[in-house]
Amino acid sequence: MAEKLPPLTLSSLDKKRRKVSFNNRYGWFFISFCLILLALFMLYPIISSLIMSTFSSRGMISRYVGLGNYKRLLHDTVFLQALKNTLLFFIIQMPIMLFLALMIATLLNNKAIKFRGVFRTGIFLPAVTSLVTYATLFKMMFSLEGFVNRFLMTTHLISDPIPWLVDPFWARITVMIALTWRWTGYNMVFYLSGLQNIPDELYEAAKIDGANALQQLGRITVPLLKPIILFTAVTSTIGTLQLFDEPTSFASGGVTAATIGPGNSLLTMSVYIYNLCFKYMPNFGYAATVAYVIVILVAILAFVQFKLAGDRR
Amino acid sequence: MRRWLPLFLVLLLLLTILGTTVFAAEKSGKITIWAWDPNFNIPVMAEAKARYQKVHPKVEIEIVDMAKADVEQKLNTVLASGAREGLPDIVLIEDYNAQKYLQAYPGAFADLTKKINYKDFAEYKTELMTLKRKIYGVPFDSGVSALFYRKDILAEAGFKPSDLNNITWDRFIEIGKIVKEKTGVAMVGFDTADGGTMRIMMQSAGQWYFDAKGDPHIVKNDAIREAFLTYKKLVDSGITKTTSGWNEWVAAFNKGETATVLTGCWIIGSIKAEASQAGLWAVAPTPRLNLKTSVNYSNLGGSSWYITAKSRNRQVAEDFLNATFAADRDLYQKILVEQGAIGSYLPSQNGPAYTEADPFFDGQKVYADFAAWMREIPPVNYGLFTYEADSAMMTVMPDYLAGKINLETALKRAEDQLKNQIAF
Amino acid sequence: MKGKLYLLRVLQYAFLLSCFILAVFPFFWMVVGATNTAVDIIKGKISFGNELIPNLNRLFSDYDVTGIFWNSCKISLLTVLGQLLFSSMAGYGFELFSSKTRERIYGVVLLTMMVPFAALMIPLFRLIVSFNLLDNHAGLILTSLVSVFLVFFFRQSFKSFPKEIIQAARVDGAGEFRIFCSIVVPAMKATYAAAAIYAFMTSWNSYMWPLIVLQSNEQKTMQLLISTLSSAYFPEYGVIMTAIIISTLPMICIFFSLQKHFIHGITGSLKQ
Repeated sequence: MAEKLPPLTLSSLDKKRRKVSFNNRYGWFFISFCLILLALFMLYPIISSLIMSTFSSRGMISRYVGLGNYKRLLHDTVFLQALKNTLLFFIIQMPIMLFLALMIATLLNNKAIKFRGVFRTGIFLPAVTSLVTYATLFKMMFSLEGFVNRFLMTTHLISDPIPWLVDPFWARITVMIALTWRWTGYNMVFYLSGLQNIPDELYEAAKIDGANALQQLGRITVPLLKPIILFTAVTSTIGTLQLFDEPTSFASGGVTAATIGPGNSLLTMSVYIYNLCFKYMPNFGYAATVAYVIVILVAILAFVQFKLAGDRR
Repeated sequence: MRRWLPLFLVLLLLLTILGTTVFAAEKSGKITIWAWDPNFNIPVMAEAKARYQKVHPKVEIEIVDMAKADVEQKLNTVLASGAREGLPDIVLIEDYNAQKYLQAYPGAFADLTKKINYKDFAEYKTELMTLKRKIYGVPFDSGVSALFYRKDILAEAGFKPSDLNNITWDRFIEIGKIVKEKTGVAMVGFDTADGGTMRIMMQSAGQWYFDAKGDPHIVKNDAIREAFLTYKKLVDSGITKTTSGWNEWVAAFNKGETATVLTGCWIIGSIKAEASQAGLWAVAPTPRLNLKTSVNYSNLGGSSWYITAKSRNRQVAEDFLNATFAADRDLYQKILVEQGAIGSYLPSQNGPAYTEADPFFDGQKVYADFAAWMREIPPVNYGLFTYEADSAMMTVMPDYLAGKINLETALKRAEDQLKNQIAF
Repeated sequence: MKGKLYLLRVLQYAFLLSCFILAVFPFFWMVVGATNTAVDIIKGKISFGNELIPNLNRLFSDYDVTGIFWNSCKISLLTVLGQLLFSSMAGYGFELFSSKTRERIYGVVLLTMMVPFAALMIPLFRLIVSFNLLDNHAGLILTSLVSVFLVFFFRQSFKSFPKEIIQAARVDGAGEFRIFCSIVVPAMKATYAAAAIYAFMTSWNSYMWPLIVLQSNEQKTMQLLISTLSSAYFPEYGVIMTAIIISTLPMICIFFSLQKHFIHGITGSLKQ
């Protein structure tokens, strides 16, 4: 008797197609609202500003320069300084802050610690404290005769007052301290939410197996928290590279000051964009160019971080 | 019939005059005004608004109050986007930015050459808002600079008021050293990141960052050279108290830690805020540079009102500004007393408030002094790139003051950066 | 052994306590500032004064604070609801129904998050004007309904959701959207709580875009008010502090009420 083709083959292909179309139907459904809104309010501005970056302008008068703006950046001492300042914040301040946030979150996830709610709220408070408040206070505390210097001098840790906000090097340190103060609690919240999704049983099983706290941290917490760590790393990267609020608030005089920080030590790329648009003779094309340099840098850094986390992208 | 003709013509003339005055008297519509500083410009405008509305009750005036940087941000965004919506009718613009806006957005502001009597205003103000022989704004407050000093502290060091009259910077530093020695008080608060003093020094010599063609004029600019040298002398002399930022600087003289304040006259409000120092202050003219071209008069700051060309109620806006800031002398007396606002409307400066003796300054007629000095301020074309230039100067300043680079290097670096920044 | 544990505990509490004090001190300073005059504040006074009522009076008489506060509340609440809905759906869609095309789209979407807002401001402004949404809260809310940050956050969080539960529900015959709403969302309360906090905070504190879109005094938000107050030549710090305290209260309330979702106890439902 001749063997018919096993009916299973046809139906398994059919199943696959159905599965793919099921996937597609619901995939598109769930992401469609977001995509429509983005297309409406992001697509046009992005394309428009990309085009703008090929023009150099003085207010309303502009001329086409193609990639001329990008070339100009390479010799622009102010841009290069902004780039250096921004990268310094990224390399030094960000890792310290994220590590601190993780430590605090792990501690506050520990049921043996009492008053966790109070600590949680308190440490999160800086993230909601208004920029004006803490900038004013920090500037007062870190002034030459401020609280910090007085404290350090009376405890004999230093003999001369540190020129926190007057010297280019120390100004950067002050802003790094401020950034850490402000955003650690914020990142802690994300870590806490991620830690909730790690079942207790895993830790209990590990304890029974004889693992100590550090091993638990390394073998259970960090791997399972990877998606959230990646999230905070990427978003902090974006936040740091787009840093604007703290430099302008800590620079004496705010956005209308001659330089941002002593000798332009606090000038970041976003502030430079702002200056190019609103403080100096407006050159919107050149400003857009700087903006896209930020995008390229962030994209590269984010890509690297995704790869390190083992994500496929 | 012919006999009635002249009468008829006269009647027609009378009716026309009557008609236009009646029509002119009843202005209506809404005008929006953007300005900053809830303690200074806003109350001044509110006072002008109140006076105008007494005569023209049908005019609605909305004063929108926001930060100065915000006004500039909004203005630039709306003008750059080319939108017709979203602009105010009247906007306050800082004098250093006047040319920038006029040239970056041609046609955006109303030409008021024939509408305002500019001869009534201080010359240096009118000049900075002139472009191609057309004048665009209504001048407002003056930043005429002055040397405010503590009479008592200077007296303790052995100086009388006449010793501070019309001095040079070098003399100022000499006096400062003696003051520091004899009283222990620093002569002046100094923010090394602030370019205000440099601007005062330059304008006192009739110079600016740019030459007549608009090119950066730094390395060969004798006023800037002298300014840099003076900055260094000030810092090296030990007579300064380093401050960082506005609050610290104000707190320094409020607490009596500095003996003088050199800046625009608008600081008077902050000085008077420390009531315990009443009667102890006096005012002297600005010190001058070691140059023949430098005088004892200069300016820091100041702003003016501009009308947007596309304003829906342009006529009302023009009439409003004309009736208040370009005519009402009494308005200027009131805002002087209440906000310490020193206008640049010359006819108002004979008024009672201007000629009064101020008890806070031990009876000195400070406002009369400011008014007199204002007329002597060397007019300067601020050009388009004041902020870029400020930035270039103060970027190199810390290294120069610390002795890491010499004057030539500093000036060259600043000029190079400036040239780079203004490239088109 | 017990001694070691005791020492550890002491160190842990000391660490947390110092973090707490450092974090909370500026807030305390602000509250003290609200009871003092500006002159005293810049001179460095940290004791309570008697100026609270005068400061409040000055604030409320010069500005329509209740109206402005309500503006901020309205805008932020609507924005948060929109963002939670659309962003979580998008994150879910990208994670659960992944495909090659959609991965590429996800990459592009993430890229948009990296563009500094200043670059987009002018074209976006033109867009708003052409839709006639200038000086309108709708203009603000519509442009902020999707947060790419939250799409990213939700997707990362959904990665740790056990897919078997979803499969089981599908076998039982439940529709996809129903699975999303009745099974996934309730189990991810901590994620939604964190997202809500982030969304509210970003919206409440947003400054540049409201500055550009809103024109008249009635439409202002609290942030704009605070900025106006802070920009005077001689800022009235006492008044500013009171405005800031009023402005910070909703945020604290929201955090307080949502933070119980960080407490353990949700994981029980995941184990089926």
